[in-house]
Amino acid sequence: MDADREDAARLCRGDTSGLAGLMDRHQDRLFRYLLRLLGDRSVAEDVFQQTWLRVAERIRRYDAERPFAPWLVTLARNLALDLLRRRRPESLEETAEPLAPPSGSDPLERAMARQSSARVEAALGALSALDREVLTLRFEDELALPELAATLGVPLPTAKARLYRALERLRARLAATALPGRTR
Amino acid sequence: MSGHVAELLALAAAGALDTGEADRVAAHLGECPACAERAGEWRNLADALRRLPRPRPERALAARAREMVEAGLAERAERAFNRAALAFLVGLAWTLAIFGWVVFDLVAGELALRLARPIGSVAAWYAAYLVAGWLAAGAAAVMLGRRAQEEGRTV
Repeated sequence: MDADREDAARLCRGDTSGLAGLMDRHQDRLFRYLLRLLGDRSVAEDVFQQTWLRVAERIRRYDAERPFAPWLVTLARNLALDLLRRRRPESLEETAEPLAPPSGSDPLERAMARQSSARVEAALGALSALDREVLTLRFEDELALPELAATLGVPLPTAKARLYRALERLRARLAATALPGRTR
Repeated sequence: MSGHVAELLALAAAGALDTGEADRVAAHLGECPACAERAGEWRNLADALRRLPRPRPERALAARAREMVEAGLAERAERAFNRAALAFLVGLAWTLAIFGWVVFDLVAGELALRLARPIGSVAAWYAAYLVAGWLAAGAAAVMLGRRAQEEGRTV
């Protein structure tokens, strides 16, 4: 966090080495978040670049007493949600097309595919943007619930409810794509 | 199993319960095999989410983003300099315009004395001077604007 503070101060003075430090530490997490939220690599890359530009433009508004990562995610989130709303206002809550069941005729292959994280990833990708967001923030970015609520800009009980609903929808989607006889 | 218990089981797997809730869930699981089984399923799902592959940005993307930001910062610095220069020039122009009246008055008086005949209204000459200055500044602004537009198109 101290390194973030120093780099943010450098960037405030127009020194781009500050940006390099911030990017080194936060770019992986930011990219992963955008990819999960937007569900499209090229769009995520575009918003990734816009986010860093926004960081440079607004770094003077960053409160160095607070952690940098949630501030960064908030900037990225605003850009990403604006983009999703511009495309289709309903797309935030909309889920993707239902997934096809795992392909392949070999039962062993199918069983392995069922167990793989690729299947969970595909099910996650089929959820709505807001469900994907809450799950990636909790399980991949490992944000504690208060940080999660702050990032989403909602009260703690709302964050909890959204997390549960997203988990329930993910479970239902996995169950729906499971082979007959394995619907749980 | 009630909906509330189902929610608690899912949130327990997500590590999103407070201490009191977590204790209540643990006590309930000891007495309820069905919920214990469901809790195991939620844990498996949570573990699968934690083990998902972590995509990373390509190095070229990070480099492009950095270049874009550096270009943006340079542009911002240039805009700030241009704003400051413009403010200075506007201030200087007004100073000269106000100071110009005093100079005009003195020069016109001196000229009229040397020529030994009236040279017309000082106010009219001053107005002509101001209009000529504004026209020259306007022409310069138009030329600079066109040049900036052309540069913008070629970038």
